[in-house]
Amino acid sequence: MMPDIGSLLAGLLAFIGDQVAASSLRLGPLPTVAVLGIVLVLLSLIARPSTRWVARDLGRLAAVSRAMALAAESGGAAAFSLGSAGVARAASALDRLQTLAAIPVLSHAARAAARAGVPLRVTVNDPVAGHLADVALDAAHRSTETQERQERSTTEYIGEGRGVAAAIALAEAGAPAAAFVDGGLAEEAMLLLNGAQDGAAWTSFGTATASQAGSVLLEGDGTLIGPELYQAPSDLRAAGLERTGVLAANRIIVAAVVVIVLGSLLTVAGGTDLAAVLAGRR
Amino acid sequence: MRRSIPAVLVVVVGLLLLVDFVLVNPTVASLASGAQELIVLLAAAAALAGAATLVLRHWLDLSERRRDPLGSGVLLAGFAVMMVAGLYPGSAGASDPAVRWLVAALLAPLVAALFAMLFVFVLSTARTGVALRTRQAAVMLAAAAVVVVLLLPIGGSLGQSLAALAGWAFDVPIGGVFRGLLIGVATLTAVHAARILLTVDRADE
Repeated sequence: MMPDIGSLLAGLLAFIGDQVAASSLRLGPLPTVAVLGIVLVLLSLIARPSTRWVARDLGRLAAVSRAMALAAESGGAAAFSLGSAGVARAASALDRLQTLAAIPVLSHAARAAARAGVPLRVTVNDPVAGHLADVALDAAHRSTETQERQERSTTEYIGEGRGVAAAIALAEAGAPAAAFVDGGLAEEAMLLLNGAQDGAAWTSFGTATASQAGSVLLEGDGTLIGPELYQAPSDLRAAGLERTGVLAANRIIVAAVVVIVLGSLLTVAGGTDLAAVLAGRR
Repeated sequence: MRRSIPAVLVVVVGLLLLVDFVLVNPTVASLASGAQELIVLLAAAAALAGAATLVLRHWLDLSERRRDPLGSGVLLAGFAVMMVAGLYPGSAGASDPAVRWLVAALLAPLVAALFAMLFVFVLSTARTGVALRTRQAAVMLAAAAVVVVLLLPIGGSLGQSLAALAGWAFDVPIGGVFRGLLIGVATLTAVHAARILLTVDRADE
């Protein structure tokens, strides 16, 4: 027999009540409020567009179209490596998120390559990242109505491991006209970037891995260092909504810097140890 | 509409894991655990598919004599040897002595040899940086030179002073730069995750 709506609602409410009764806060009331508060602040800032954070050309990405036009004139190809962290590999979550952050950059380069008729070769060392890259290439050719050129652009899974990515980049001949490496990098960064830029007329490299900033700075013409890898996709977009993610971060960084400076001054003056208070040690 | 199903999936899974992080609830915990197991399964399936496409591509390269047939042959031979070592009847799989020998005697030395080249590449790239005279490269190489001087193995009071200065440099200016980078990266990681959760990542043109 089918229950009536009242019984259904009563059952639903009873179920929710049971679940609430069976739950407890993992972090305690104050930390939970703090975590949710931070999420709310982030979301409210993201949903409130106003201005751009940076005016300069991050990673020389504004010049991608020109680089592709030059590549088309010279009959060259473009190469894009999504780093070595992948999406489903055994790397840290922060490294793998960099691969996702690099997808919009890949989309930007793929659209420019599709318009200019330049073959784009994307290399990945993770099949899931390869699928994402494939979708990005497909979307780029659809949006530019150049599906007839899609066969010339490829996504290539080169095998598992960070060393493999570096070895392939070093070993493969055929200097691309434009080379991109964006995503999570580790100790293989210098080898991978050196192999990617070898003979390339135009390069743009980026990683948010702090320890590899030096490799990117030394190897790339255009660079996305640290937070810039996350800024760049927002800056590429025409709409202001995504750009405000960057603005939100800017405000939070300013707040963090103020707290650090204030805390340092208080500590130097022999007053309260602000870090200890914030960390709950006092 | 094309994006609605993936977007809904992302939001649901993201919220589920967030709620599991905040609340202790057996039902939510089992759902979150199930989602994470599903992700592991998906990754395993993707790895199998990746291996299959890798073999197929190199098989075609080898059979049609295109690109680098020799390299493709080496890759397929290595793949076959590792598969046989791990899957022959009675094999202990990844912990089989044959697999462990192949990893220890071939794979590890190859990877070590590759990374041993880092020293040469760092020097070569530093030289290129100096030749190109870019501002960032100049600042970085100057800082690297200072650190090298501070870490010189010198004894006596001069050595102690240099060591103390090196410790200060690591803790204050270098540590400060790293902390700044990490704070910026952590903040924008959270923003990026929120953007994915809100599905505000759309095509820019």
